[in-house]
Amino acid sequence: MLRSLRLKRLLQFNGKTLYNVSRLLRSEPTKLTTVESENESEAKLEKKSMSKAMKAYLERAQAHDEFMKQQNYEFQIGKRHLANMMGENPETFTQDDVDRAIEYLFPSGLYEKRARPIMKPPEEVFPKRKAAEFDETGRPHHFLFYTGKSNYFNLLYDIVEHINNLNKYEDSMLNKNSYPDPNTKLQLDGYQWMDKEALENVLIEKIIDKEYTNFVNAIERLYNHPYSYRIKEFILKYRKPLMSQKSTSDLPKLQYDSDGRSYVTVYECLRKRARGHVTIRAPGSGIISINGKDLMYFEDTQPREQVIFPLIFTKMLNKVDVEAYVEGGGPSGQAGAIRWGISWGLRSFVDDKIIESMRIAGLLTRDYRTRERKKPGQAGARRKFTWKKR
Amino acid sequence: MFKKPRYIFRYNKNPKSLITSFQCLTTAALPTERIDSFRCVINNPLEQNEGHIGQFYRVPEDVVSKLFSQGGLPKSFRIQTKTFAETCLMIRKPSIDIINCIKNLDFSKPVPRFVLYGQKGVGKSLSLAHIVHYGYEAGFLLVHIPWLGEWMRRPKDSSPSETKEGYTNINLDIASWLVHFKNQNSLLLEKANLKTTQTYKWTKREETVANSNLMDLVDHGINRIKFASDCVLALLNEIKQLSKSGKCKTLVAIDGFNAFFYPETRIRTEKKEIVHPHNVSVTEGFLSLTRFDWKNAVAVLIVDELAIAEKDQTSYFPRYLLGKDGFEHLDPFIPVLVNGYSNKEFLSCMNYYRERRWVQPLPGLDDELSVISSSNPYKLMQLCAPL
Repeated sequence: MLRSLRLKRLLQFNGKTLYNVSRLLRSEPTKLTTVESENESEAKLEKKSMSKAMKAYLERAQAHDEFMKQQNYEFQIGKRHLANMMGENPETFTQDDVDRAIEYLFPSGLYEKRARPIMKPPEEVFPKRKAAEFDETGRPHHFLFYTGKSNYFNLLYDIVEHINNLNKYEDSMLNKNSYPDPNTKLQLDGYQWMDKEALENVLIEKIIDKEYTNFVNAIERLYNHPYSYRIKEFILKYRKPLMSQKSTSDLPKLQYDSDGRSYVTVYECLRKRARGHVTIRAPGSGIISINGKDLMYFEDTQPREQVIFPLIFTKMLNKVDVEAYVEGGGPSGQAGAIRWGISWGLRSFVDDKIIESMRIAGLLTRDYRTRERKKPGQAGARRKFTWKKR
Repeated sequence: MFKKPRYIFRYNKNPKSLITSFQCLTTAALPTERIDSFRCVINNPLEQNEGHIGQFYRVPEDVVSKLFSQGGLPKSFRIQTKTFAETCLMIRKPSIDIINCIKNLDFSKPVPRFVLYGQKGVGKSLSLAHIVHYGYEAGFLLVHIPWLGEWMRRPKDSSPSETKEGYTNINLDIASWLVHFKNQNSLLLEKANLKTTQTYKWTKREETVANSNLMDLVDHGINRIKFASDCVLALLNEIKQLSKSGKCKTLVAIDGFNAFFYPETRIRTEKKEIVHPHNVSVTEGFLSLTRFDWKNAVAVLIVDELAIAEKDQTSYFPRYLLGKDGFEHLDPFIPVLVNGYSNKEFLSCMNYYRERRWVQPLPGLDDELSVISSSNPYKLMQLCAPL
């Protein structure tokens, strides 16, 4: 009786003592049964009901571990085989080499990259699993366990806590009569919030669209706080650089011709069936030549506007000379190709901010659309013949 | 008071509905007579010089109705002048150059021939209009064909000539040209003592006797359309004689002159055969006026791609457009290239449009328009219409 009381009191303690309790339980049931038989059934029932979920989890975890071990072993063997096939040293064979070898051995014409054959470490291929969320007694570790999405709501909780802390800090600063400096405000242009899928991977939880927007709203609010720079680390964890940030780093270097003018040539400017190359020279006076003619090469206004749009957008109209050669396709395609070439080449002449705005304006995006083929049994690509009853 | 009409103006670009709204605008805009850099204070072509290049001068309404009521200003430009409630021509280098040449000309020497050429829409016809206006003010007898393409490409009628075997008459067009000629030269024909040198017998009962007024010849052509072509031939012959004898100075101005040498006209005989321009009866007369074998005259001609069939519009150079015959006919002549707007002219034109409330003042508009239009005046006019 005394013991059971002690037990009960112990059980009310926090997680640290739980380990001892379990030891007690494991070592003493025989004694318990012998000393006080009336409590026997109660304790057994308690133990049995407590361990059921845990037991199932442990079994699953063990099976998963074994499976992963096996997969890992097979992956290592496979990698060595692959290295031998490629005639390279298996010890120094890296994942990059694996990818290259797979691409070489199993060439695939599939458009979707994720549909092509891969060989990745099993950790990347098989989704991560959550660790045990409850102890052997069935008590959840996490205080938000019963929300069903503990990591997600914990994240929201953290964000709000950060906001509160910053507000407190702001108040204290206001008391000292000091205001936030706008220059130190967190500037994360060229970044965007982690998308839903990536967030799910981080949280190891599935979330719905509404929950994702809630997250974005919350963190946006945190980000816009004048003192948000104090928790830059936290915010950056959920911010991802935009695609082009990488590509801007490998801008083509300016070359110099015999007159000492800088120039950049963009090859492979493609749009529809047109292809061409564009040379941009600076300093210039706004001379545009297309296949040796001036802008009147295009008879209509629309393609002419297309060609000069990037120049107007970057305010470089009278500062650079453009020389373009295009062939194939029609006026619209040719103008589109030149427009892309000019935009792509202008990146070397303007600063990052303008490049970023050009990207947002869609000037740096290659337009991959082409004519859709006509289908037999139809009037055109999509259009059907006129329906006639008979 | 000023803003309201402007509002009406912006949304009523249809010239017909504009006139009413314009009357209140013009009263507000014109009497101030601001001297803008793009407006020329001197409206008389006799006094204009190189310093005025790029500026607009206003052609008085009575002169416009006299000189250009039957053509001479391109249609799209005429519509615009109606909208703007004034006829303003830009003083441009080719026209001012030619005018200066004419001013310093020794009229006792053989006739010089100026040939204006240039791409489509650069303002050749309006340069000619400027020169015609100068000729009018300077007291020249004007022999002005507003657009030869009208005769060769879009004839109103055709009939075989009765006087000359194998020739074709386009009498309706010629008669309306006679009206044009009469309009342009009515003052001169009344004032100056221009008499015919020989008797022309039209029918048994009709004749124009020698030493009668030149106006009689013109009137006869207008009243008896059947004889219009013959009248014109006689008239041109008389003009040549009169100039030679020093009784008058003549300005020959022909727009689309190369149509005289382009073999495919749209004039057809009764057998539906295409008529060569040299077989059109009046051609001979006008060609004789563009020869150098007379004096006291000057010829200003335009060679234009638009005067020939579309399939052959590949080059705007005189040698191509005139062909071998035409080139030899005119040789030696003074070619005058008409270019698109220079920067100064472009700016002046845009300022003019802005003053007329035709385009809205927007930042960066000029740069964009100048590139898109390639400084081609006609293209610019088209682009500005919906702005």
